[in-house]
Amino acid sequence: MAEDPLRTKLCDMLGIEFPIIAFTHCKDVAVAVINAGGFAVLGEAMHTPDEIAADIKWIRDRIDGKPFGIDLVVPASVPPAGALEELMSKIPDTHREFARQIKEKYDVPDPKGPVALHQWGGLNQEMARAQLEVLLDERVPVLASGLGSPVFILEAAHERGIKVFGLVGKTRQAKRQVEAGVDAIIAQGYDAAGHTGAMGTFSIVPEVVSIAGDTPIIAAGGVTTGRHLAAALCLGAAGVWTGTLWLASRESDVDMIVKEKLLAATGDDTSYSNCISGMTMRTLKCPWTEEWSRPEAPTVLPAPYQMLLSSDYIQGANDHRREDLMTEAAGQGVGFVTTMKPARQIVFDLVDEALTAIEELAGGVG
Amino acid sequence: MVSRATAAREGFDPEMAGKRAECDGGGHIAGTRFAGRQEFTGTLTGEFVDQGDPPWRWYLMVDLTRKPEGYPADAVWCESESVFILGDESS
Repeated sequence: MAEDPLRTKLCDMLGIEFPIIAFTHCKDVAVAVINAGGFAVLGEAMHTPDEIAADIKWIRDRIDGKPFGIDLVVPASVPPAGALEELMSKIPDTHREFARQIKEKYDVPDPKGPVALHQWGGLNQEMARAQLEVLLDERVPVLASGLGSPVFILEAAHERGIKVFGLVGKTRQAKRQVEAGVDAIIAQGYDAAGHTGAMGTFSIVPEVVSIAGDTPIIAAGGVTTGRHLAAALCLGAAGVWTGTLWLASRESDVDMIVKEKLLAATGDDTSYSNCISGMTMRTLKCPWTEEWSRPEAPTVLPAPYQMLLSSDYIQGANDHRREDLMTEAAGQGVGFVTTMKPARQIVFDLVDEALTAIEELAGGVG
Repeated sequence: MVSRATAAREGFDPEMAGKRAECDGGGHIAGTRFAGRQEFTGTLTGEFVDQGDPPWRWYLMVDLTRKPEGYPADAVWCESESVFILGDESS
């Protein structure tokens, strides 16, 4: 066995102790993971350029020069201008009525304030560019693209010493990004929270590894224990990308009610549906997802108009902290998230479990 | 900063015009902190827009034979690195 089986080329590239990447929207989680020897990527897709700059400074002030990453959603397609505005006025009455029936059946409270969606203009190319420019100006150590290809920004990033990671759901996306010189690829399987591709983690990771050459591949989707970490390394990955694992950590800013739901959930308690936003994403099951999965439910509307229907439910549930209604993006590995621990402890537990699994494997083989 | 990012130039690439292609698309989900994937199959017109500096190229795809259920338009702008020409093994 190697001296340190968890020392991978990803560790060498980033100067980190453990090949564990936390994807989180919570700065406190990010800082805790980084200071425990892992790596963290902060999701900033919803933030303005000024907010992103402030968050970068906040993190830098707390990690003593260690590296970190920022994740943005780089769009890969956009509808022609005007098409969506036209549809806005055409949400069918059947859909409005179905949403109203859910609201009545489950006594969903009204949101306490204006629905956030109506104040947020969505993310278009211009906003994405403005966000990316902050990362370039700030010379963040790692820029991660959570959906579309980051290739167009690659040269500008490398000139500034920024490493670029791309998240893919298909091998052909990985092939193109590897050929363009992306520094690492996150191969995300169907098990993952939020948006995913159609391939399972156990299939996409080795397939992407097989075409990646020396480019480090990071396994994502369902990774919530050290055994998953060990398995990912056996598949050829150089590290793991984890999200659900941190939602119920002590530092996480997720509502305590949702944390308790996450801790109680099993892998069967997630839903892969487009009924919240019009785009498929994996979340904890809730009355909204269950009602829209019934045969008599109307056809789901495209993004962002399904979100117009669901946002009243989502925000009403969150504003009034209704445990029976609330949901959160969560991967199928959520069943292994059973206790609320400090993020630092989660890192160390992952490492211990992975080393034990690797030792058992080596012993068994030998 | 933003002006540098948003300047756009339109153009036409005859090499791409008329080609059948797939687009591994998607983007941010308005009102959330998440993103979603959307897949399209159609024909490239050859029209493109280069946005910003460095240029970020987008191709127009029409005659969509595959699009997300309920997608409201007959066309989509696809980011160039997310376009895969059908029958082109190198893509």
